[in-house]
Amino acid sequence: MKPAPFEYAAPPTLDEALAILSENDPDEVKILAGGQSLMPLLNMRLARPELLLDLTRIDELGGISARNGGLSIGALATKRDVEDSALVRERNPLFMESTIMIGHPQIRNRGTVGGSMVQADPAAEYPAVAVALGAELVARGPGGERVIEADDFFITYLTTSLEPGEILTEVRIPDLAAGTGWSIQELARRHGDFAIVGAVAMLRLESGICVDLRVVIFGASDRARRHSEAEALLAGERPSAALFDAAGRAVGQSLEDPTDDVHASAEYRRDLARVLCVRTLTEAVERAEGSGG
Amino acid sequence: MAVDIPKSFEELPTSAPRHIGRGRRRIEDPALLTGRTQFIDDVELPRMLHCAILRSPFAHARITGIDTQEAEALPGVVAIVTGEDALRWSHPAQSSPEGWGTHCLATDAVRYVGEPVAAVAAISRYVAEDAMELITVEYDPLDVVADPAAAMKADSPLVHAGQGTNVMMDRVFTWGEVEQAFEKADCVVSEEFRWNRMGANPTETFGCICEWDPLDLSLTIRGSIQSPSMFGLGRAATFALPSNKVNIISQPHGGSFGGKGGTRGTDVTCLLSRKADGRPVKWIEDRVEYLTAGGSQAWDRYYSASIAVRNDGIVTGLRVALVDDLGATGEAYGAICAAKPLAAFTGPYTIPVAEYDLKLVATNKVPSGPYRGMGPPPHFFVLEQLMDLAARQLGIDPAEFRRKNFIPKDAFPYMIPSGNEYDSGDYEEVLNQALALADYPALRSAQAEARKEGRLVGIGVASAIEPGVFDWNAYAIVGMPGTGVPEGATVSIDIMGFITVRVGFSLEGQGQYTLVSQLVSDYFGTDPEMVRVVYLDTQSAPPSFGPGGSRLGVAITGAVLGACDRIRTKASQVVAGLMQTEPENIVLRDGQFGIPGVPEAQMSVAEVAGTMLARSDLLPPDVDPRPEATHVWTAAGRTPADEEGRAKSYLTAAQAVHVVQVEIDRETGFVEIQRYCLADDCGTRLNPATVEGQTDGSVAQGIGAALLEEYSFDSDGQPQTTTFMDYLMPTVYEVPTVEKVAVVTPSPFTPLGAKGCGEGAIHTTPAAVLCAINDALAPLGQMAREVPAAPKRLWDLIRLAEDTSAEGSRTG
Ligand SMILES: Cc1cc2nc3c(=O)[nH]c(=O)nc-3n(C[C@H](O)[C@H](O)[C@H](O)COP(=O)(O)OP(=O)(O)OC[C@H]3O[C@@H](n4cnc5c(N)ncnc54)[C@H](O)[C@@H]3O)c2cc1C
Repeated sequence: MKPAPFEYAAPPTLDEALAILSENDPDEVKILAGGQSLMPLLNMRLARPELLLDLTRIDELGGISARNGGLSIGALATKRDVEDSALVRERNPLFMESTIMIGHPQIRNRGTVGGSMVQADPAAEYPAVAVALGAELVARGPGGERVIEADDFFITYLTTSLEPGEILTEVRIPDLAAGTGWSIQELARRHGDFAIVGAVAMLRLESGICVDLRVVIFGASDRARRHSEAEALLAGERPSAALFDAAGRAVGQSLEDPTDDVHASAEYRRDLARVLCVRTLTEAVERAEGSGG
Repeated sequence: MAVDIPKSFEELPTSAPRHIGRGRRRIEDPALLTGRTQFIDDVELPRMLHCAILRSPFAHARITGIDTQEAEALPGVVAIVTGEDALRWSHPAQSSPEGWGTHCLATDAVRYVGEPVAAVAAISRYVAEDAMELITVEYDPLDVVADPAAAMKADSPLVHAGQGTNVMMDRVFTWGEVEQAFEKADCVVSEEFRWNRMGANPTETFGCICEWDPLDLSLTIRGSIQSPSMFGLGRAATFALPSNKVNIISQPHGGSFGGKGGTRGTDVTCLLSRKADGRPVKWIEDRVEYLTAGGSQAWDRYYSASIAVRNDGIVTGLRVALVDDLGATGEAYGAICAAKPLAAFTGPYTIPVAEYDLKLVATNKVPSGPYRGMGPPPHFFVLEQLMDLAARQLGIDPAEFRRKNFIPKDAFPYMIPSGNEYDSGDYEEVLNQALALADYPALRSAQAEARKEGRLVGIGVASAIEPGVFDWNAYAIVGMPGTGVPEGATVSIDIMGFITVRVGFSLEGQGQYTLVSQLVSDYFGTDPEMVRVVYLDTQSAPPSFGPGGSRLGVAITGAVLGACDRIRTKASQVVAGLMQTEPENIVLRDGQFGIPGVPEAQMSVAEVAGTMLARSDLLPPDVDPRPEATHVWTAAGRTPADEEGRAKSYLTAAQAVHVVQVEIDRETGFVEIQRYCLADDCGTRLNPATVEGQTDGSVAQGIGAALLEEYSFDSDGQPQTTTFMDYLMPTVYEVPTVEKVAVVTPSPFTPLGAKGCGEGAIHTTPAAVLCAINDALAPLGQMAREVPAAPKRLWDLIRLAEDTSAEGSRTG
């Protein structure tokens, strides 16, 4: 479990990092952030770059700030930075909650927000929350800056629309609209494991009627996806257990190609997606009601 | 010289308060906690090379060619070995059932994924791994058999073509009139069970540094080695060396639990050192190697079992048929795990007759080895599920059902049908204490309430025996005929009165060095801080087996107290000479040798030792002038096994009752352990803190077994669980706080009355957790027969029940 030989560069600025990328064949360069996913891949020789480009010395890629009704999170901000951020706690409790569901403190101390987005693990919390919230991912490359909608960013298992030679610089997370009820729940074999299945639900109540619905399932298939059929069943309706069940069934039925592995069969995942859809909707409505919406 | 070993604390030559019997801080801990303990990977030797092992990607294939040229040319590579070198310089493993062992590197065919095929020694592990990628091996894939039922069929592919079969052993052992018991039974309960492969995962994997001396033709092996003397004898056999030409240095190691097998890797590394003209070669097994092909996988079992019961709830017979999948070679003493249940076959019960139908089968999977408990934990899982089934069928509360069948406290020593003798116990008291701790009636009424709401809440009450202080005779049925397992210690007092104890085992985590210091200080009336414990390698140590088989606490207590007594005898002669009296008149009490009641006729231990060492002119002529003695302890009264495998084997029988409450999430199949209570009796507690630590760790491993841990393979024999992402160890979040209460029934047969307790709770925990799960499922008419009870399996059972009831309501 030792990596194959590679060159190593740790430039102090984004421009220098981009220059290194453009001077090398970008397919032979691997970007290193917190290393929590990449290091095992290197050690098992599943990734064998010629050059490892370490971004962790680039200060301008860190930091968390408020921006146009949302949060701007530097790609190199760690999960621990998020966890400790009063700003995040105040502006986006859903994002905060999803953060502490990731792994264990040791992983959050090093793992970055950008790393989780680019890793695009189908069971990761951040991509799911990004899809649910309609986050934007900002990348810099040879052609300058690009802003990518979360839903267009995540393609499939461990694959994003980031081009070779591009660096993710920032993640823009919109604030939760006032009165939004939300929930994120997952089932993992052990505390801190990647989820077998997870779900995110968001909604608001206008005069007791559900609006602005988001239902996202993660861990169950190739990537986190919104389930518009389930959303449509509830939109404009008064919340009820019967409707949640119907939404859950719709999620279960519409789940495409569920993952089948040692922890859970495809059929089991389908059913867990149904269960978690019901549970997150129930909790989201409780929160929405609690917020007086 | 008769040696007198105290049978209780009160017989020690010191007055209370003593150090023994109290939870002392461990003398091992400061070095461990500050990172100063030297583990094998911390050891650097001059000119040392690093080994990487190339392993088979196929579960079964013929090797048609190996080309190492390109790898040899890589700068930094010093030696490469393949099966040819193994054939030239070594013999097949001796630890398999006879004839099934193979060489440490595949010679003709590979028989499991991860089997070593070649190895490289280079100036760093990095270079060694680079070189590995340059070796080309040509394989001609063969048909794979990964399932023991298929392997037993006549048309199965053969793991070893030369054997003509995959069945390593097929025998029925009958102890008493079993047929009759089942014919006469009012009720017979039969079930099938599956225990999936799981096993030890110590924090540290195996590692070694091997050094071949080309002039002396000898081997020096340093490593995280659990049983150094056995390990040394094994290497001597493998390399056809005289046993005094193999020296084993056991480095402190980060746990073992039986998973520190490492013999194959060691043998490969020895071959490399020989090929590299004697340069030392280090091999550190990485976690992927460990999980794929290490010494950790155990207990891959299919059971079919029944008990015969009378209407009054008395169990009159037990039948267990076991198909044990030992993997490709059964090496590393995996077969022992199928034999050890003989030491406690009928558990804590008076079941008078029993039968064991045992099949050991080879498949194309990594050989299965030892694990904490060595085999009985799955056996008790089976027995305890049968007990619950019978109780349910007869409408008797499971706790009461067990009470009816317990061996009564006045029946000890008690001979069980499979031939072992239990030393002592008070099982009913242990049950009472466990039920009281859990407030069992309250748990049952809370359960009744929960059931009304449709919740799946279950309570498990299970009991098991932990055989302690092993003897080889227990394993006679799988070809280990020896008797007697020694443990020695040398105690020496220096001229200043400080005491050094030399032992043949290194640190593994159980705190035996602390125990040694407690014992010696309570014998000579010194401070434990005055006692130093020193490890000796196999060429210098007194006879020693080391930790294993829940023995070392008891055995080292016997060795140390025996050595202390021998010193006392010598010193008494010296003091008698000085005081001009007879040695019988000299008594050691609270650190003073002298004539009782005569204050001026007293000498401190330090004075006596100082006199012996410095003033030989004053000593009586026949006295050995060294205040030093060695004692080797073995369990007395062990008997050779008869043809049905019956032997007095394990010296002690600890017993426990666990009470567990779980709730299963009806929609997801996830299990939450809501309450965990246990009472246990392992005789005198030499260091209660250590016992508690062993119990906590063992409950954790038991919970891993019950709910999480499983090595899985696909039908091609490809392992599916080669990292900790997929092989799930319990963490602190999955293990509940364990509420414990101790019952103490000293053993009449052991030093200070202590019983083996190192393997402990894992004997009972999986049984108890599964009893609780099955109690929760009972209203659905379902039963979990497979361990681990993973959520996907429970979800299947719950769906099955709901489908059946939907079916029922539709048709009915
Ligand atoms: C034991 C354990 C448990 C875990 N549990 C969870 C969990 O429950 N949920 C979860 O979501 N994750 C979990 N993780 C993964 C963890 O969150 C990782 O931190 C994350 O996947 C990657 O972030 P990183 O900063 O470590 O990235 P790295 O490992 O350094 O990189 C990951 C990938 O992203 C690329 N990359 C990183 N940053 C950039 C950038 N700015 N621009 C372009 N490419 C970039 C890298 O090239 C690489 O391909 C776990 C990890 C471990 C070890």
